[in-house]
Amino acid sequence: MSGAGVLSATDREPTDGEVVAQVLAGDAEAFGIVIRRYEAGLLRYATRMLGYPDAAADAVAEGLVRAYRHLATCRDPGRLKSWLYRIVGNRCRSHLARRSTSDLSLDDAPPIADPSDNEAATERAEQMAQVERALETLSAEKREAFLLKHVEGMSYEEMAAVTGERIPTLKMRVHRARAALLEALKEYE
Amino acid sequence: MTHIDPLLHRVLDGESPSDDLTPSQREQFAALQRAVRLLAEAPAASVAARVMAEVRRPPRSLGQRVALWLTERHAVTISVRPVWSLALAAALAAIAVIPARGPGPVLGEQEGIAQFVGRFPGAKSVEVVGSFTDWRPGAVVLRDDDQDGIWRASVVLPVGEHEYMFVVDGERWVTDPLAGRYLDDGFGRQNALLFVRPLAR
Repeated sequence: MSGAGVLSATDREPTDGEVVAQVLAGDAEAFGIVIRRYEAGLLRYATRMLGYPDAAADAVAEGLVRAYRHLATCRDPGRLKSWLYRIVGNRCRSHLARRSTSDLSLDDAPPIADPSDNEAATERAEQMAQVERALETLSAEKREAFLLKHVEGMSYEEMAAVTGERIPTLKMRVHRARAALLEALKEYE
Repeated sequence: MTHIDPLLHRVLDGESPSDDLTPSQREQFAALQRAVRLLAEAPAASVAARVMAEVRRPPRSLGQRVALWLTERHAVTISVRPVWSLALAAALAAIAVIPARGPGPVLGEQEGIAQFVGRFPGAKSVEVVGSFTDWRPGAVVLRDDDQDGIWRASVVLPVGEHEYMFVVDGERWVTDPLAGRYLDDGFGRQNALLFVRPLAR
């Protein structure tokens, strides 16, 4: 009998709940699955929130270590993604609250496009810089709402789990964020 | 401010098809989609090795934790009951060889004095930020005149509860480990709590 196209139980990717149970049972290496599954999205989210890749990497690394150490307190392992975004989001907000513009060093600034890059890459870098500048003009709350909704693709229910806010509040923030972003994009064009 | 029609919001929320959008709404839709496509690019960096190194590190024994605590910098505050602080103040006044330098601050009825003391050997600067400074640095700077690593400041604050943290060398935020009372700051850390009482008159 051919097994093509049929996945056996061992081929199946473990669910978040299963991975959490594995880690809590003492298999620390299984936490690597959590990292592999969510690291890219968390780094993207933190980078867009903070505007600086180094600070974002710190926020995500600290958040993931904290998540590992407090994994037993994750009440609903099936919603691990929301829990992780909440932890990293908290670290981002903490960073934003404590950072003044004077704290920024040149080392921490985003890379400037290398003139030797090809034209298309340079144009793309300029477009990205415009969008990032426009995003930075939004308040942290609006920026967070816009990113979770449109970049991370979350439902309002998931966003509520991440932020602890009510759904009508989040909808309002997303609506205002869209308008503010469009306005800022016009200015930076 | 740019106006977005409710129909476009419904389309962006996935509640309506985009067929009925007007040309200007389509432009707004396209502009937002372009922005989202750019923002959706995932950074190339990875923190996996860093996190797994921490995950694999065996938990420290009690002895190691104590040794670490003894060798790391810590903020030390002394909390005393008001009656003991008054007794201590009286004792200090009795043995003081230096005359008083003049009148202290004039306090309103709803004000009290808060004393911050922290042990930070080797620090170049220590300050306190908190709810009373809107979490902005620069308002309450501690001093270590005798360079013994004990930093102090006294400030007049409104009566009531305040949250605070130490900021060492302008960048390291330290929760006062001996404050006794803490409040989650909503960002994953804990702020120390301080209750200022009116000065007895």
